Amino acid sequence: MSAPSPAANVADDPGALPPSAYLRMSAVLRIGLLAAIAILASGTIAYVLKHPGATSGDVIASNPILRYLSLSGLISGLAGGHVEAYLTLGLLVLVATPILRVASGLYYFYVGRERAMTAITFIVLVLLFFGILVLGPALR
Amino acid sequence: MIPVLVIAFGVSFPNAAGVGLITILATSSATGAAYVRDRLSDLRIGMFLEIATVPGALIGAALTVYLSHENLNDALLVALGIVLLAIIPSTIARRDIELPVGVVPDARSRQLGLVGRYHDGPLDRDVPYAAGDTSPALGVMFGAGIISGMFGIGAGVFKVLSLERFLGLPMKVATATSNFMMGVTAAAGAGILFAAGYVNPVLAAPIAIGTAGGAYLGSRVLPGLRNRTVRLMFLPVVAALAIEVILRGLGI
Repeated sequence: MSAPSPAANVADDPGALPPSAYLRMSAVLRIGLLAAIAILASGTIAYVLKHPGATSGDVIASNPILRYLSLSGLISGLAGGHVEAYLTLGLLVLVATPILRVASGLYYFYVGRERAMTAITFIVLVLLFFGILVLGPALR
Repeated sequence: MIPVLVIAFGVSFPNAAGVGLITILATSSATGAAYVRDRLSDLRIGMFLEIATVPGALIGAALTVYLSHENLNDALLVALGIVLLAIIPSTIARRDIELPVGVVPDARSRQLGLVGRYHDGPLDRDVPYAAGDTSPALGVMFGAGIISGMFGIGAGVFKVLSLERFLGLPMKVATATSNFMMGVTAAAGAGILFAAGYVNPVLAAPIAIGTAGGAYLGSRVLPGLRNRTVRLMFLPVVAALAIEVILRGLGI
């Protein structure tokens, strides 16, 4: 190959996150997804068994999520065996998975003493929580 | 999928967007695990650009709820149709730069160390790369975030555009990093719609399961099929849906 390889002039050392960071984040994604799917699949089966005649129209017309958006509401729904509460929990796990990944990125940048990247990742994390805890409830 | 939910099933726009973002989360996690493990996703560049996509997604999702409250669903439909139409030419013209040449990192890229390398299987060697123009890349990512939060789509075309065109990343890294970022962007938008009560769990659950299964199967069954072929196959469907939502929005 006569052409110089792209970006050959920049530092050879790549992103410099330790290899374990990649493996751990990959594991976070896989476990988060599998947990979410397991909860959602069993919840969906339970829903169909409970409401054998439900049509797509019934499902769309009823939106039970508002009952489970507080911690106490969700816990009592789970304790009471409400299928909708389990489905809500499964979706929560699905939403939480990438957020957990950002949090683990924050950890690696902090440990690696990378001020700028730590600050950037911290702001992203704060914005994610702001959306869920402040902006979302305000739009209810 | 969003137009189908809105038009065929009469789901309200924020509800459809919420379900759409849930499917993006499922897809991103299903395919992302392998990309991250193989170190194709650039975590550093991805996290850096999320500073633009996440606020974009928050604004987009809030905008959808606001417009829907104001009974501007028709305007949302027309806007969605326009976005879908805009995706078509960029999908066809996508350049898929396998290995970019002559990328000059800007000051911000150098300061944050936005460089990396990946192992290219077919070329059988490690390929180093560096991020070029970060400012336009951040701008496009902000726009992609708004579109993603507003319409519940991944806006991957715009993310890849930003990563390939402005940062000058190799195609495989751009695709994997865009997928990685999509999950976080979707979590921002979905988080808001979820907390605002717009994600119907009974509706979203089966769709999420189907999407995750499809994404998993797709990554197993279709590795031989080129991305471009798959994308081109879907274009007529996207075009038909785009025209349909615009006509609906205009009340024709």
